[in-house]
Amino acid sequence: MTTALLRVSVGSALIAVLLQRPEAVAQGSGQASQFDRRYLRPDGTAPDEHPEFYFTRAAYTGYWSRNWAIDYPKADRQLMTGVRRLLTHLDASPDEHPVRLDDPDLNRFPFLYAVEVGRMALTEPEVAGLRRYLQAGGFLVVDDFWGTREWANFESEIRQVLPGCTIVDLPRDHPVFSAFYDIKEFYQVPNVGNAQTGRTWEKDGFVPYYRGIFDDKGRLIVAINHNTDLGDAWEWAEVPEYPLKYSTFAYEMAVNLIVYSMSH
Amino acid sequence: MASWIEPAFEFLFKYRPFLFQKGRFVMAPPWPAAIVLLVGAVAVVISYRKARGGSGPGPRLTLAVLRTAALALVLFCLCRPALVLSTVVPQQSFLGVLVDDSQSMRIADDGETRGQVAARSFGPEAPLLRALADRYKLRLFRFSETAERLPSTTELTFDGGRTSLAHALERASQELSSVPLAGLVLVTDGADNADADVADLLPRLRARAVPVFTVGLGRERFAKDVELTRVDVPASVLKGTSVTAEVRVAQRGLGGQKVQLQVEDAGRVLQTQEVTLPADGESAAARVHLTASEAGPRTFRFRIAPQPGEPIAENNQQDVPIEVVDRREKILYLEGEPRFELKFLRRAVADDKNLQVVCLQRTSQNKFLRLDVDDADELAGGFPKTREELFKYRGLILGSVEAGFFTGDQLRMIAEFVSQRGGGLLTLGGRHSFAEGGYGPTPLAEVLPVVFEEGRDPKQPFFAEMKVEPTPFGMTHGVTQLAATEEKSAERWKSLPPLSTLNPIRRTKPGAVSLLLGRGEGLPGAQVVLAYQRYGAGKALAFTTDDSWLWQMHADIPLEDMTHENLWRQLLRWLVSGVPGPVTVSVSSPRTAPGSAVTILATVTDATYLKVNDAQVVAHVKDPSGAERALPLEWTVGKDGEYGARFTPPDKGAYEVRVEAARAGQTLGRETAQVQAADLATEYFGAEMRRPLLERIAEETGGRFYTPQTVSALAEDVKYGGGGATVQETKPLWDMPALFLAIVALVSVEWAYRKSRGLA
Repeated sequence: MTTALLRVSVGSALIAVLLQRPEAVAQGSGQASQFDRRYLRPDGTAPDEHPEFYFTRAAYTGYWSRNWAIDYPKADRQLMTGVRRLLTHLDASPDEHPVRLDDPDLNRFPFLYAVEVGRMALTEPEVAGLRRYLQAGGFLVVDDFWGTREWANFESEIRQVLPGCTIVDLPRDHPVFSAFYDIKEFYQVPNVGNAQTGRTWEKDGFVPYYRGIFDDKGRLIVAINHNTDLGDAWEWAEVPEYPLKYSTFAYEMAVNLIVYSMSH
Repeated sequence: MASWIEPAFEFLFKYRPFLFQKGRFVMAPPWPAAIVLLVGAVAVVISYRKARGGSGPGPRLTLAVLRTAALALVLFCLCRPALVLSTVVPQQSFLGVLVDDSQSMRIADDGETRGQVAARSFGPEAPLLRALADRYKLRLFRFSETAERLPSTTELTFDGGRTSLAHALERASQELSSVPLAGLVLVTDGADNADADVADLLPRLRARAVPVFTVGLGRERFAKDVELTRVDVPASVLKGTSVTAEVRVAQRGLGGQKVQLQVEDAGRVLQTQEVTLPADGESAAARVHLTASEAGPRTFRFRIAPQPGEPIAENNQQDVPIEVVDRREKILYLEGEPRFELKFLRRAVADDKNLQVVCLQRTSQNKFLRLDVDDADELAGGFPKTREELFKYRGLILGSVEAGFFTGDQLRMIAEFVSQRGGGLLTLGGRHSFAEGGYGPTPLAEVLPVVFEEGRDPKQPFFAEMKVEPTPFGMTHGVTQLAATEEKSAERWKSLPPLSTLNPIRRTKPGAVSLLLGRGEGLPGAQVVLAYQRYGAGKALAFTTDDSWLWQMHADIPLEDMTHENLWRQLLRWLVSGVPGPVTVSVSSPRTAPGSAVTILATVTDATYLKVNDAQVVAHVKDPSGAERALPLEWTVGKDGEYGARFTPPDKGAYEVRVEAARAGQTLGRETAQVQAADLATEYFGAEMRRPLLERIAEETGGRFYTPQTVSALAEDVKYGGGGATVQETKPLWDMPALFLAIVALVSVEWAYRKSRGLA
């Protein structure tokens, strides 16, 4: 299947997302404390199936109590509905799946998504848990943090986790950008509010950066989406006012990151 | 036979048993005397029946029997019983004396070497040899691998590297085929270590009336000895591979003791392992795990230090040549869905320079991710559709991919990849693997080492967690060794976190071997986790878990732990070990003595692994000085694709044999083997005197077996062996002391009986 055809599929998948799971999207409101068990899984149950892939969201301590749960769980559910239609052979859970960074079970899920990391304030156990996770082979995607101050905070936090790590801009020919879709154009994905005004930046984050951290063997272990908000594009793909090009790009990036994390 | 039996026999029956064996019994009855005696006997019976007196029928019958028996013996003597023997005419017949000149004759069993014991009877001044020389024209031979004429037994050197009784007897009997040959005398310990089978020769010698008289030297059983009887390692391994050596240790008199088995490579100790010897006389089997870390032709020395009181130390060690190849083996991994197993497998073997895992991962309908391909064309069309394309890989891993993904031809091709090409197939657990992947009715069901569950709908999802443990065989197998010793490896297995399986499999095929089992609450019985079987020329493995990556990621696994990496490296290296290329080469003796011929055999196939009979095959033999010569190999005709030639390494050292095959100017392949020419200690292995073999040679050819204690009878016995220029000689038996003693005894008993009954 060509990339162009797949892109068409992204659009149709997005439409299907919204037709298929209105009741799932409707859940997810009414959270209590940061790590309340019910809040981590709104239905309070563990999944009874055993899919290969969970879209695991990092539940971490932040300056605000709900940092980690921005766009949650709607973005997660909509994304996975789309991903399951695009990656037809991926055995993926359709549900959201948050896990705390200090939970040993985190290591059972080698793909991890963290949002709003500009307001991250990791505790020692969380630092240790995330460090162990990444060193053992886990793959972290961070997203939706903007500007110089938030970058500085994230950088400070991640350097606690991975002291001495080097953060580099990912070259456009990096395999992550062609793991499934051959992505040539890179956008600054705006939040849903800005998208309707035509503005794409927040704070002083005018230029989107797609960066990475590699381990000592040259393996990409952290993918950093700075000054861009893929999560909102997943969450609000059904809103007619939200530009399709951003949603398409965000879904393509998600698919590539998932495929890459399961092969590299 | 006890030492007193033969003299006693000779005293009673006048001649030794050997003459009765060789002779023909005849009688010349003098009929008139016989008739008279017969009448007399009848008269005796009648007279006893009519006798009056106080005796009843019982005593009369007894007396009649005793008298008749005495008369019968007299009659037997009158019949002139005799033995007719073919007797060698003195000084008209030849006698070949073959003396073992191999190194095993240096063994001192009881303070005196076997060579010295032989010299006592067959030295130039030995009475026996002189007695033989007086009666026969002697021809002396020395032999080890073959036989050659010997002017005098003083010229024996006892330095032959091998012993071939068959070649020695054949050679001597041929050389003496034109003369009247009274027989061959074989003076040896019988430690035959050549390939030739003496059984084929014996009927021919018997047909030619050449009796072989064997003289056995040495002890039939050492009081104390340790011997490394067998060491099995692959002839060729990939650099860095953990090799399992199977070692068999024979012993006498050391039952229950512990010995240290050491393995060295060029003087460097690779491994030391303690071996507990079983009950006296029984062999111990040991498995030693080694890592072949240096490329090129290597020689591993397996050694057990000499034990106090051992007569020979040379059989305590064996040198084993092994070719450590440093090439990159290509494995194709087809994964039917995005799975973390692929990611972590790739990570595990990424640092292994000798493995290239080419991945083809299906991500969506008809969309594949190709990883670690050599060029843009490799696997561009998806999974290989031709034998040529598939067979260039040495190993094939099938992940979670349903049978319906393949065409029928592709499924057959995969089966042939194993059976004909000799490749290694590894199937992984997954939701589309095994029965759950619809493989039940496909050719792969036969290839796989496991039996699919019956009575279960494979469309129904299955999930169970299981704790994985090695089977007893897995405890000692190199692939499932997780630590330097078996004890530490067992501990490591116990500490690993549980995995899951989506494919319930509880049975293996007959002939398959399980290495790992899984146990868990959700399982109806022990799950077969890792099993393998040979299938045709290759092997098939089943690894029925789908998340071995947990042994890398799990929070209980220390970051520095290498279990996951080591297991996958070992597994994949084993998968491709022994997988042939288009050309394979073997030599009959990877270690041989200088001057001993070696046979080179090469098997040649094309890119589709079909045997080729019209190839040009050349062996380039590089000697220890670096000089190279080309040796053409000829098709052996007996087998498709097999080519052979012989060469003889003249000097000590390593010889590299590089075989290249081409057809119509196109190279089909090349492969290398090595030959080490060195002084071998072969003669010290199995060095106890082999009495059964020597007795058999004597018995089947009409000769006789002797020990140094009984060999004095040899000169006389050869006379009656039946070989050479003979005349008929009749030896009377009527005057055997046994007969007279019997007659006297019968008469005496009769007299005593009469006396006791008052009849005298």
